[in-house]
Amino acid sequence: MHADDPHAAAGTVAGDLPVDPAALREEVRGKYREVAVDPGASFHFHIGRGLARRLGYEAAAVDALPDPAVESFAGVGNPFSLRRLASGERVVDVGSGAGFDSFIAAGQVGRGGQVVGVDMTAEMLAKSRRTAEALGLAHVEFREGLAEALPVADGWADVVISNGVINLCADKQAVFAEIRRVLRPGGQLQFADIANGRPVPAEALRDIDLWTG
Amino acid sequence: MLQDSGFTDVVIGAAVDTFGGANGEDKARAFEVYGYTFMATRSVGMSA
Repeated sequence: MHADDPHAAAGTVAGDLPVDPAALREEVRGKYREVAVDPGASFHFHIGRGLARRLGYEAAAVDALPDPAVESFAGVGNPFSLRRLASGERVVDVGSGAGFDSFIAAGQVGRGGQVVGVDMTAEMLAKSRRTAEALGLAHVEFREGLAEALPVADGWADVVISNGVINLCADKQAVFAEIRRVLRPGGQLQFADIANGRPVPAEALRDIDLWTG
Repeated sequence: MLQDSGFTDVVIGAAVDTFGGANGEDKARAFEVYGYTFMATRSVGMSA
């Protein structure tokens, strides 16, 4: 399904990357563990319902979700703004966090579709699974995994979504190769992420603390 | 990078002021960081 070493499979080696992928992963996991268990804390980014409004999500869809589905939402854009998902589509949400975008996707594809959220942070997975169960959403499932090694079969997905996750991965080439693997030919990738208009100095790129703060 | 990874028909949405009013706003302004939505189609061919 996927290579043991996703970086090697994508044609990169650790030395080519500005930071060590495993070290960055631990930093990110620590930050988002906090977002999962203490969403009332202060972060350098917006979270929750206010952020969803800011990013232009459909109010009715957000209002219909319970607080645990929304309070830890920490996306940077709206993956559904360029294209609404179609009924019956199979969706993978890369870095699904507490499940906000997965639940929005579930509403768009309906019970004839399927949504698989993938996240590496245990506290986020536990939260998203509790919410899916509380909502009785049998067509939504959350799996533990990495963006560079998705636990999804080749060509399974009609659509891959992601929100504010790929910028936190050291090896973006490996992530896109993995997304391509799980998408069917002709399938859609629709994701939100940040981009900078001014170049970031090389020394800052190597400072792992700056990636998450 | 998307095209190099085997995606076509790349569309980029309008910039969103993701960090406006947040604690990280100053750092975001320094590097002109904004949120964007991207859409692309997986190419049909085997190679990227």
